[in-house]
Amino acid sequence: MTQPIIEFRNVVKKYDDHVVLNGVDLEIDAGKFYTLLGPSGSGKTTILRLISGFLDASSGDILFDGKRINDVPAEKRQVNTVFQNYALFPSMNVYENVAFGMTLRGVAPAQIKTKVTEMLELVKLKGFEEREIDELSGGQQQRVAIARALANDPKVLLLDEPLSALDYKLRKEMQYELRAIQQRLGITFIFVTHDQEEALAMSDWIFVINDGEVVQNGDPIDIYDEPINHFVADFIGEANIIPGTMVADNLVHFNGQDFKNVDGGMRPNEPVEVVIRPEDVDIVSVEAGAVTVRIDTVSFRGDYFEITASDMDHHEWQIQSTNGVEEGSRVGVTFDPEDIHIMRLNETEEDFDARLEAYDEE
Amino acid sequence: MKKQSLLMKFYLIVVFLLMYLPIFYLILFAFNRGDYMTSFTGFSLRHFATMFADTRLMGILLNTFIIALLSSLVATLVGTFGALGIYLLKRRNLQNVFLGLNNILMVSPDVIIGASFLILFTMAGLALGFGSVLIAHIAFSIPIVVLLVLPKLNEMDSALIRAAQDLGARPYQVLSYVILPYIWTGIMAGFFMTITYSLDDFAVTFFVTGNGFTTLSVEIYARARQGIDLSINALSALMFLVSLVLVIIYYFIANHKQKGSGKHKRATVNQQLGGGVQ
Repeated sequence: MTQPIIEFRNVVKKYDDHVVLNGVDLEIDAGKFYTLLGPSGSGKTTILRLISGFLDASSGDILFDGKRINDVPAEKRQVNTVFQNYALFPSMNVYENVAFGMTLRGVAPAQIKTKVTEMLELVKLKGFEEREIDELSGGQQQRVAIARALANDPKVLLLDEPLSALDYKLRKEMQYELRAIQQRLGITFIFVTHDQEEALAMSDWIFVINDGEVVQNGDPIDIYDEPINHFVADFIGEANIIPGTMVADNLVHFNGQDFKNVDGGMRPNEPVEVVIRPEDVDIVSVEAGAVTVRIDTVSFRGDYFEITASDMDHHEWQIQSTNGVEEGSRVGVTFDPEDIHIMRLNETEEDFDARLEAYDEE
Repeated sequence: MKKQSLLMKFYLIVVFLLMYLPIFYLILFAFNRGDYMTSFTGFSLRHFATMFADTRLMGILLNTFIIALLSSLVATLVGTFGALGIYLLKRRNLQNVFLGLNNILMVSPDVIIGASFLILFTMAGLALGFGSVLIAHIAFSIPIVVLLVLPKLNEMDSALIRAAQDLGARPYQVLSYVILPYIWTGIMAGFFMTITYSLDDFAVTFFVTGNGFTTLSVEIYARARQGIDLSINALSALMFLVSLVLVIIYYFIANHKQKGSGKHKRATVNQQLGGGVQ
C-alpha cells in the first residue's frame, strides 16, 4: 500500500468552546481528485485551511508525505490554494501574478518566463500576460488564479469553492477543464464545494462533511447509490426518504406493503429509512403500480419533468420523468428491487462499510 | 423641481461666496499698488517683491516647508505602521479602543494639544524650537495618516495576504509586494493631507515655538497684529496657492478609484490600485 500524501489523525479544531472539527480522520492519496462536500459551516473549508497552514489544529496530527506538518508555516508547505474570490494581486498584471511564487523563490527570469507561458497555455490564457487583473472577466481571473497556484509546482492543489462565483455554463466548462488539468498534471486536487452536482461530476473520491465530521467517503457512485444516512441521501441529490422496517434480508416493509430489495445484514424488523431516487421511480397505470399516488405538481425542466405526488399515507414522492403527466391525476408508481436503498438509523461509517462488505461476500 | 434646484444653486453660491470672499479680498490686495487695504489703487507686484526680498520671511518660509515635509514623512511612516498594527489586531474591541484613541486626537482642540505639548516639553527640559515644533507636528499628523490608511486596509480582501503566504511569501514580502501597493493611495493621501495640516497649523505651533524659531502662520499672526503690511497679503496668496495645489494633488490621489484605467496599457501604480479587487 502506498503512503497517503496527506493524512488527518483525529484532528480537532475548536474556537473557545465552539467545535468546528470534531475528530476528523482522512487519507488523501497522491494523484487523485478529491472533493470535500458539505453545507456551509460544515467545516470543509477549515479542513482545507488546516492543510494549507492558515489554521492550526487544536489537537490531532496532520501528516504530509508521512511527516507531521502541524508546526510548518503556510509559506513552507508544498501545497497551493485557489481561493474562492481568486485573490489575485491587483497591483500586478497577469504575468506578475503567475510569476509571483517563483519571483519570491528567486528563480531565473528566463525560467520564470517559460513556466508562466506554459501555465497560461494550460489554462487557455495564452497572450494575456500584459493584461491587468481588472480588465479580466470572472472566468479569466479564475484561470489566472489556477495558473498562479500551479506555477509553484505544488504536490497538492487546494481549491476553495473556486467556481461558486461563475455562472452556470461557465461553471460546467470549468469543471471539465479542472478535471482535465488534474489528469494531465497528475497532481492531487482537493476541491471544496457545497454543490453536490459539481462533486459528483469531477471527483475520484468524495468526503461528505457535516457538523465537523466526515459523514461518509467513497467514490461518487457509491455515495449517490448507497448514502449512509438521511443527511447524505438528502444532501446528495434529490431523494424520497420513507420510514420503514426491515422484515428480513431482502425484504423491506413500507407504505403498508412488503417490497423485495437487495439489502441485508440487519436485525429482523429493524426500523430503517428507505431511499428511492426520483429518477428510479417509474410512472405506470394504477393497476401496474406498486403504490398509487396523486400527482400534485409537474414542472418542466428542459430534459425532464420534475413531478411531486402524494400517496394514500400522505408521503410525498419526487419523481423525474421524461414524459409529462396531468396534475391531479391518479397514477401508479413502481421501482425495481435494486432501486431501493436501505439506511439504518445512526449507523457509523465503519459499521456501514463492514456490513456492506460482509453482505457482498455472501 | 426646477425652482427648488435654482434655490439650491443660489444657496450654494452664497455660502461659497461668504467663505471665499475674505480670502479673495485678501489676495486681491496683495496686488494693490498702494500700501493699505482701504482702496485698490492699481495693479502691482511690488508687495511680492518686498516679500521675496525679506530674507527673514524667506527663512521662515523655508523652515515651514522643512517642518511640513519632515513631519509628514515621519508621520506617514509611523501612521502607516500604526494603521497596520490596528488592522492586524485580532480582537475587535481592542481595535476599536485604539481607533477611538486615534480619533480623540483628531477631534480634540489644537489649543489643548499645543498646551499639553508645551507642558510636556517644559517638564522634559526640551528646548523649544525646531525640534519641539517638529515633534508636535508629527504627533498631530499621525492620527490623520491612520485615519486615511486604515480604510484602505479594511477594504483589502484578506485573502490577498493568505494568497501571498500560500505562494511562499514571508511576512516582509507580504508587506512589500501585496499590502503596501494596495494601500499606497491611502499612504500618499495621508502624506499630502498632513503636509497641508502642518503648513497651516497655528494653534499647536504657537505654543511650542521658542524665541528663535517660528513658522509662517505664527509669523503672519505676529505681523498682522503689529499693523497692516500688504506683503502679508502676498504671502497669504502664495500659501493659498500652495494649499490649493496640495488639495488638488490629494483630490486626484483619493479619487483615482472612479477613473477607469486605460485598456491594454501598462498602468501606473496608482491606476492599478484604483482598480480594486473583484
